[in-house]
Amino acid sequence: MIKAFSIFGSGSRPQLGPFERLVLEEVWSQGSATVRELLADGKIRQAYTTVMTTVDRLYKKGLLDRVAEGKAFRYTPRYTPEELQRDAALESIRQLLGSGDVASLPLSYLVEALSAHDAQLLDELQFLVERKRRELHSRKTQNREKKPDADGKEQR
Amino acid sequence: MFALRGIAVSLTFFVLLYCALSALVAVAWRAFKVLHAPERSIAGLLFVLRILPLAASVAITFAFVVPSFQLLEPRSSDIDEGMGAIPLAMGICALLLIGWGCFRVIAAQAKTARLVTRWLEGAQPLDVVANSQLDAETEVQMGVSFDAQRFAQGVAFRSKGEAPPLLLVGVGKPRVLVSESTVALLSHDELRIALKHEFAHMKSRDNLKKLICRFCPFPGMAKLESAWSQAAELAADDAAVSNLDDAVDLAAALVKLSRLLPIEAAPICAVGFVTGSISARVARLLAWNEGSKVQPRQDRPWYLIPIALVSVSFLCVTYAPALALTHELTEWLVR
Repeated sequence: MIKAFSIFGSGSRPQLGPFERLVLEEVWSQGSATVRELLADGKIRQAYTTVMTTVDRLYKKGLLDRVAEGKAFRYTPRYTPEELQRDAALESIRQLLGSGDVASLPLSYLVEALSAHDAQLLDELQFLVERKRRELHSRKTQNREKKPDADGKEQR
Repeated sequence: MFALRGIAVSLTFFVLLYCALSALVAVAWRAFKVLHAPERSIAGLLFVLRILPLAASVAITFAFVVPSFQLLEPRSSDIDEGMGAIPLAMGICALLLIGWGCFRVIAAQAKTARLVTRWLEGAQPLDVVANSQLDAETEVQMGVSFDAQRFAQGVAFRSKGEAPPLLLVGVGKPRVLVSESTVALLSHDELRIALKHEFAHMKSRDNLKKLICRFCPFPGMAKLESAWSQAAELAADDAAVSNLDDAVDLAAALVKLSRLLPIEAAPICAVGFVTGSISARVARLLAWNEGSKVQPRQDRPWYLIPIALVSVSFLCVTYAPALALTHELTEWLVR
């Protein structure tokens, strides 16, 4: 799995091109597909041979499985998007931890990044809570204002 | 020798059944995730699934394997089958498994007791006067008699020092520990609803459930336990909240306490307030409406009576053949 994912490379050197990513996403969305089925969807507008070469390359990179179906091949994804994402993250963390001369330094960067991310997330949640509170408050105020009006009308 | 062989055979059957059922549950529990039911029911179901392998293995061993061996195994000294290598090895495995479970439980209890003693040093019972409204409401809405006296006698404590912000800790005598910083940070309403959340955990005995899970370890069960833990949090949220104001107060308390980093990790026999996916819990609380409130279910045990009668009758009719079958199976296993 790690081997399969290492082809994504790290940082600024992605080794899976945009078209390869597009084809892989299309196979994920269809579950399994032949080249003709990938083209029939209309999302991929390339020549048959280009798509065929691309899926073959994805197969050789270990991201797709294939079985013969008549004269063509039916391709199925070997990993789910979540599995690939998880392993990409693991691979990145491994590379990060192995990058520094002092072993604890990259870990501290990671903790720092996570703390910043957490703080940002909590700020967003706090904002949502405050907004809901304001909504509730204004709704209550409106109800209180409406009530005396209704009482006044009844008295009249 | 007969008794020893009986114990070895029973332990062999137990460990094989336990492992097979655990493996099955570890794979199959995800099917129950898609259920649309109140979180309380989902939490209950996930817990039942978690302890099913242990409960079923113990029940089947004592109900079928032990009696079948006692009744159907020849006792004559002429027929000495010997202990057999497989029952001996499997019996030792079973004893190791049980011993490991006991060790985990005792270690968790000891660590919890140690931490609670330390956290309770200098702790004060939570101000009864300030929380008198909480007691009355808790009693009425949750059917729990947390009257002022009991409250004062030591359910909720305002702890000093290194205790986590807010948690329910302990199994036999559970206590709610609230740190000084939590009391300072939360408003009265937020603290009230956060405490109600912890009392809901206390009512559903979640710490005891955690300890039971600790007793029956098996690889691959961590995700099931994590799903149960999340469902238990959502169920406690549901139990604590009775209107939108409560929901917003609980969400606010969650966000505020998430910013407090605990100095020490909570022990096994404890349920922290800030547990599980905070963003999911807050989103759920902010989307609260009257329809979200799950009415406490009225238990109607009468419908269980016919089911129990049918089960007992079925068991009576099939017990003798089942014992014979079990004996054959154990003979085949140890051969």
